[in-house]
Amino acid sequence: MTQKLDLLDIQGNIIRAYGRFGYPMARYVFFNIRHSARAREFVGTVTDRVTTAVEWGEGPGQIKQPDWTVNIAFAYQGLKQLELPRASLSGFSPEFISGMKDRRDILGDDGPSSPENWDPIWAENRKNRDKDVHIFIALNARLPALLEEGYAWLTGVAKQYRDAVAILNGHRGEHGALYDYQDVKAVMENGQPTAKEHFGYTDGIGDPVFEGAPNYDLNVRGRGKQLEDGSWAPLATGEFLLGHIDEAREYPPAPEPILLSRNGTYMVYRKLHENVATFDAYLDEQGRKYPGGKELLAAKFVGRWRDNGAPLVKAPDAESKQKFDAEFAAADQAGKDKLLSDFTFDDDMSGAKCPFSSHIRRINPRASLQMVKGSKPGSMIFNKDAFDTPGALSNRRRILRRGLPYGEVKDRSRDDGNHGIVIMMLNTDINRQFEFVQQEWINYGNDFQEGSDKEILLGNHNADNKFPSKAVLQVDPNSDQAPYMLSKIPRFIETRGGEYFFVPSLTALRMIAQGVVDPT
Amino acid sequence: MSNIAGKAYAMNVITPIRWTTAWLNKLIFWIALKRPSTLRGLITLSLIHYARWVIIGKNQFPHLDSSQPKEKLHYSYMLFFSNFNGSWDQYVDSFTFAIPGGLDLFWKWNIRYPKSVALTPFHHYIRYNQIETIHYYNAYPLATSNDVKSAKAVKDALIQFQCQSADDESDDNFLQRYNALLRGLQHDLGAMHPTPIVSMSAYQVERRKRWHDGSLQKEIAAQQAAQGGQNHDR
Ligand code: HEM
Repeated sequence: MTQKLDLLDIQGNIIRAYGRFGYPMARYVFFNIRHSARAREFVGTVTDRVTTAVEWGEGPGQIKQPDWTVNIAFAYQGLKQLELPRASLSGFSPEFISGMKDRRDILGDDGPSSPENWDPIWAENRKNRDKDVHIFIALNARLPALLEEGYAWLTGVAKQYRDAVAILNGHRGEHGALYDYQDVKAVMENGQPTAKEHFGYTDGIGDPVFEGAPNYDLNVRGRGKQLEDGSWAPLATGEFLLGHIDEAREYPPAPEPILLSRNGTYMVYRKLHENVATFDAYLDEQGRKYPGGKELLAAKFVGRWRDNGAPLVKAPDAESKQKFDAEFAAADQAGKDKLLSDFTFDDDMSGAKCPFSSHIRRINPRASLQMVKGSKPGSMIFNKDAFDTPGALSNRRRILRRGLPYGEVKDRSRDDGNHGIVIMMLNTDINRQFEFVQQEWINYGNDFQEGSDKEILLGNHNADNKFPSKAVLQVDPNSDQAPYMLSKIPRFIETRGGEYFFVPSLTALRMIAQGVVDPT
Repeated sequence: MSNIAGKAYAMNVITPIRWTTAWLNKLIFWIALKRPSTLRGLITLSLIHYARWVIIGKNQFPHLDSSQPKEKLHYSYMLFFSNFNGSWDQYVDSFTFAIPGGLDLFWKWNIRYPKSVALTPFHHYIRYNQIETIHYYNAYPLATSNDVKSAKAVKDALIQFQCQSADDESDDNFLQRYNALLRGLQHDLGAMHPTPIVSMSAYQVERRKRWHDGSLQKEIAAQQAAQGGQNHDR
């Protein structure tokens, strides 16, 4: 059942995490629509420059890799302003229609993460018609000068359409200054872009593999869905692209006509601030007490070692990590990728290696939710054949991750600098995929039989004494150790804004631009 | 009306089934009970408190008094009754993701049952045949069934630990036993907090209730006072 995707019809940011394809910097620009008909023409002009998912090549008849890319998406309010018919608008999902701010109580955006504290562009969105975020345009570039080139092009087009669209100001940057755009770029080391984020972890490894994506068969192990016999299969295309069959063997709910939705998807845009000082202080303090030492503890928060991303299930302690590092150093690119991605939690059902509350286990538990308590106290066992397929509870909760870090850490002893991650997550059902993971697995733990214990890194932990956050780092039930308790976990990550967007196909973009979307 | 009490959700679904096939369903239930392995998937879904299926014959509905008009029913009915933690979607989806075959077996002969995959027709089937809960009481609104099971495990282990303690026990021995106690309970120590909300609609209903009884206004005033103080600090 292989299917080929129409890559010329799909926007490039859906298929490619640009950061990993030689575009380590980007600028995100948001527009408010002032004149509907002219704004459609603006969309048309941008569409001519939109980067598709097509394979690049230097040969004759091939499309050359661009110096900078352009992608476009719309918030619900934007589609309304572009005058999509009511019958099409009502087919979008309720949470997309409501918008991220309205979903704050589902997402756990409270306290310092609550919308009142978001960057002005996001705080004022959906409050006042003239400040509503309608259109998102992303420019990714290979070099700073090329990014400026792309930006000059975009502002030029915007100027041409200044009666129709206005660039929204209000992205916080250095020292609280407000910008017309959100700048993001890879964390640099010695002038070279790295895969690091500001806490020092190696990021951008895990990304779901789905049917039809280029080369999906090559890297399906550890990235697709885990099967009973130990093999892996790509996830159904419909988990990530509308108009394709999903894991429940149906077309995911989508607006009509089908030409409007097919090859499009939903995008969750979130600006997440990282409290680096709080993180370092907590890691230092707990690291002094933690028997495995500070670096192992840091790895326990995420499920991967900070330096090279080695998964804890493969390198659970300092000794095995050394062995892993040697193998990793000797491996070629494909070998490295396999070492990083090809793993399961099957041999770590009790969480002794990768704790249940760690970032990657909570966000992609693979087959590990097919678990029951074992007879040995403190053990969990893999309940083989209990479900129709071992990944039954995770296969429909997967998300494609895009985006890059923003800002720079200039003073690690302060939380209030300009540093964090802009994460963009793509899925066909925001409620079933992103929101479910955020609500049930990040800010709650019942599926992991951990009660209200939250995911360590991202949880909306409370500093107050009424409901202090804690996490249990499990140990081998056959050992003589005690589980380690992380107590009074502070909030490491704070939401600074975001919105839900629809990323149309090229066909849909042209239809929107021409004003011919018609579900009759 | 509310299907929700604390962290629990009550689901009643009643679906018609021909009396000619109802006995087959009874047979399947009987086999499932005899062979617990058939229910393993269900038991592994730890969000479920329990699930019960009953066939009610068309003449078995209660007739309380002679003044109650007699009903003439066409079909027998299958009552499905379950309590679980989490949202309707999470529950129904967990079922269809994890044990679609089992569901189809139990509902197979029910009139117009669409099968559990694809999802949307199954959602509709359950929705249309669900009976809303009129009264639902929960003595432990903060607890999930996992929390209750864990609390019992913690209590038992603590009592046992206590019984094994002796006044002349060496420090080392105590530590070893204590570590073993924690290790044995490492999957039972989750906190119990009032999160998360089940859905925006349920949350709004709950807020309206609090508005009508006057408590919401007080809460908001307190929050604003606290937030005012916070902003001041910045
Ligand atoms: C500032 C916030 C965040 C930081 C610092 C962070 C960091 C990381 C790191 C270090 C990894 C491991 C490397 C890798 O597998 O790529 C990772 C993986 C991942 N993260 Fe995050 N992350 C953040 C926010 C989020 C959010 C909000 C989500 C979604 C709700 C998310 C979803 C994922 C996923 C899906 C993976 C891959 C898991 C797998 O397939 O094994 N992350 N993240």
